[in-house]
This record gives sequence, structure tokens and C-alpha cells, in this order.
Amino acid sequence: MSTPGRVLVTGGTDGIGLELVRLLSARGAEVVGTGRRDGPDLPKTRWVRADQSHPERAAAVVREACADGIDCAILCAGTGTVAADGVEGADAIRRTLRVNLTASVLVAHALAPLLLDRGGTLALIGSVARRGMGALPAYAASKAGLHGFARALGEEWRGRATVVALHPGPTRTGMQGKAGMEVGGAARLFVPAPLMARTLLARVDAAHGTLRPATLTVAHAAALRRGAAERLGLAR
Amino acid sequence: MRRALVTGASAGLGLALVRALLTDGWHVTGVDRDPVADGLSANYDHRPCDLSDPAAVDALCAALPPALDLAVMCAGISATGRFETIPAEAHARVLAVNAEAPLVLADALIARGALSGLVLVASLSVDVGYPGAASYAASKEAVVAYARSLRAARKSPRVMAVLPGPIRTAHAARHAPDGASDRARMDPDDLARRILRAVRSGRLTLRPGVAATLAGAAGRLAPGATARAMRRALFEKLDRDVW
Repeated sequence: MSTPGRVLVTGGTDGIGLELVRLLSARGAEVVGTGRRDGPDLPKTRWVRADQSHPERAAAVVREACADGIDCAILCAGTGTVAADGVEGADAIRRTLRVNLTASVLVAHALAPLLLDRGGTLALIGSVARRGMGALPAYAASKAGLHGFARALGEEWRGRATVVALHPGPTRTGMQGKAGMEVGGAARLFVPAPLMARTLLARVDAAHGTLRPATLTVAHAAALRRGAAERLGLAR
Repeated sequence: MRRALVTGASAGLGLALVRALLTDGWHVTGVDRDPVADGLSANYDHRPCDLSDPAAVDALCAALPPALDLAVMCAGISATGRFETIPAEAHARVLAVNAEAPLVLADALIARGALSGLVLVASLSVDVGYPGAASYAASKEAVVAYARSLRAARKSPRVMAVLPGPIRTAHAARHAPDGASDRARMDPDDLARRILRAVRSGRLTLRPGVAATLAGAAGRLAPGATARAMRRALFEKLDRDVW
């Protein structure tokens, strides 16, 4: 178990990804953040423009940006649209699958030699929606896909690199709004993004260097427990 | 006359389903990039389509036969071997054919409103894991989650996910380790009959056969151990990449 020094975060310009970038930068990691725009100026953080709706191109850009080596890749980029009665339309389905799943698979593929070379960690941010979600069928499918992928790849890479599948519960980010979802008062029950990011990163740290697959669902309760522990000065 | 759509109609499980449906008196529209065998009944109509091509899928959606009662998404490809040495394009293609195409097609059919039954053929890999076929594993898990999501969203069509273990087809033989026996693989005609029976009885998730039921249960109870066992049984025996 160790702390990765050079970390890639896809989808680093917003939501959980941005909070992960902030955390990593604050503790001195060299960070490469990707997104469709640049993120904020942060110490030892570089921003790279990559649009995951074009998976092959995004993977090539990421590969080049990480050419000097990477210890850990956290694939956090994601999108979704709300379906009316389960129907979304071809464009929305393709976009969600390509951004969330295909691009993540191809980014993992592009970074594989670098991660395998130094026993790095690939962390895939899925979602509890992977069990199925009526309002977001393609989103659920894409997140389930990430889980199936992580489970298979983690075994392939056992002893060579670490693959972690992390599935957050509902988190307070801009995603629901962008997806066209009206959350309303329920947002108060969602986990704040910084707390979710701290919880996820703690799990990545715990897994890093173990060279074994790991899966974790960070449901509401787990993150809140962490939040409470932090307030009491208990969390490491 | 009841009307069905079957993708992957030219071979393997898809062809077995086409035959079983025709025998049962259905009219079947089959979709496949390959031509279909001769000698199928006059109630069969073939639509050539490369499901890895989004433009072709869109054209198919625009020209779907009216009044379909049942759609079976059976078309599937794989890429087996070491994830990092299989070409990226092969992985993208697996996701396009196995996940993107059936979701786009199903969505189009559901939007039209006439469909009463939808069958999505996934894989037992969703329960047991599939090291050695990481993009395939991803695609099948996606399909099962989509099925669950549709069921949560609406009552009609009735959506069934099928999670078969290995089937005795040319596809399975291609992607299996060298020298693997096909004795334990399910006969595609047998599987087709089981699927149609399950459709009639309104099953939601079909793990066909005792072996699949047991393996599926083991996979859900002990996912880590099962995936590790699959690594030994499959991944470590693959001696080359096949896509």
C-alpha cells in the first residue's frame, strides 16, 4: 500500500474528478487532469483536452500526455441523460456508452504498458446505478460495463498491476443537472463531492501496490461514516 | 401471425432461434452481416447489416418491419486473449456490436410501441467474470444492467436477459482455449427452445441449464473467488489473441 506520485484523472474538470484532482495536488502528487476544457490552476497539475465522446482520439491524447510514466489512472469521466419511460434515443445512448465505457476501456488500453511497467493502479469510477436504474438505462449499462471490465481485467493483471472498481452512490455534482434530472430536495441526501472524493481516494491508496483486483461500493452510509470520523479526528 | 426480429441470425444461437421460431409459426426478420443459410421458410426475411457500423444500425432502425411482437438481440462477437495485446479497435468493435447496437435497436423498437417481448442475450460471464475477454465481459454486463433498467422504467415490453454458459457454436470454439472440449457446451437448438419457453412463461432472467444456474449462484455469492477460478480455467489457458 502506497501513495501514487503521478496520477491521471479523466473527467477532472468537474464533479468528483475535480475534487480528486484538488486532493491529489494538495498532497503533492503530479496530476494530469483531462476534460473538454482546462481546469483550475493547481500546483503540479497539468490539464489536457480530451473529449471522450471520441474514444480513440481521447485515448491517444491521454497516452501522449502520460508518456513519461504514470503510477495511477483514475477514470472518472462520465455523462448521462435521463430517459423518458426508458427511452433515450440513439444519440444519447451512443454518447453515454462511448464516453463512459468505450473511452475508459480504450484509455486503459492506451495506458496499459505504462501501468504494467511500474505495477500501477487503474481505478474505474462506476456507480451504484450499475445494478439498473429506470431513469438512466444507458448510464446504468455503461457503469455496469465498467464493473465487468474491471473484474475481468483485474484478474488478468493480478500480480502485475492493480485494478479497482469504485461505485459511488448519489453524489452532489453537476451531473444530475446535466443529465436533465430533477433532484430537488433529495440532493440534501447526496454525498458532497469532496467527501466522496476523499473516500474514493482512500480506497485507491489502500489498493495501490497490492497488484490485486478490488471492488468497492461507496454507498451513502460509508461516505457519511467517513465524514463523521473526519469530524471526530478519526479518519487517516 | 406473430412477428419476431432476431439479430445474429446467420449462425450459432441466432440461427437456432430463427429455426425454432419459424417452426413455431412465427414470421422472422433476421439481421446479420453474413448471408443466411438456404432453405429457410418463406416466412423468413433477411436484413444484411453490420452492427459495428452505426450508420448501418440507424438505417436498419429506420426500416424495421412494422408490428414486431418479439425482438431477440443475439448478435455478438468477442476478443479473447490478453487485454493489452488485443488491438484497441477490436475492443471498440466488441462494445459497438455487443452493447451499443442492441441498446440502440431496443430503444428504437420500444419507442415505436408495438413490441411486447424483448430478449437480450448476455452471458454467464456477468456472474462468473471473464478474464481473457475483458471488453466482452464489459459489454455483457452492460446489457444486463440495461435490461434491469428497462424493467424498472416500464411494464412493456417484457424484457428478459439470458445468461448462457458456453454454447456449442463455431464462435465458442474460436474463442476457447486450444484443445478445450465442447462436451460441456450447450447445444444451440436446445438453448433456443429453452429461451422461447422462458419467453412464453414470462421469465425475467434465464440462466439456462443446471450448470449455468449453479455457476451463476457461485459467482454471485463469491465473486472474487469465482473470477480467480475463471482466470485459471480460461485466461491462463489462452495461448493467443483471437478477435
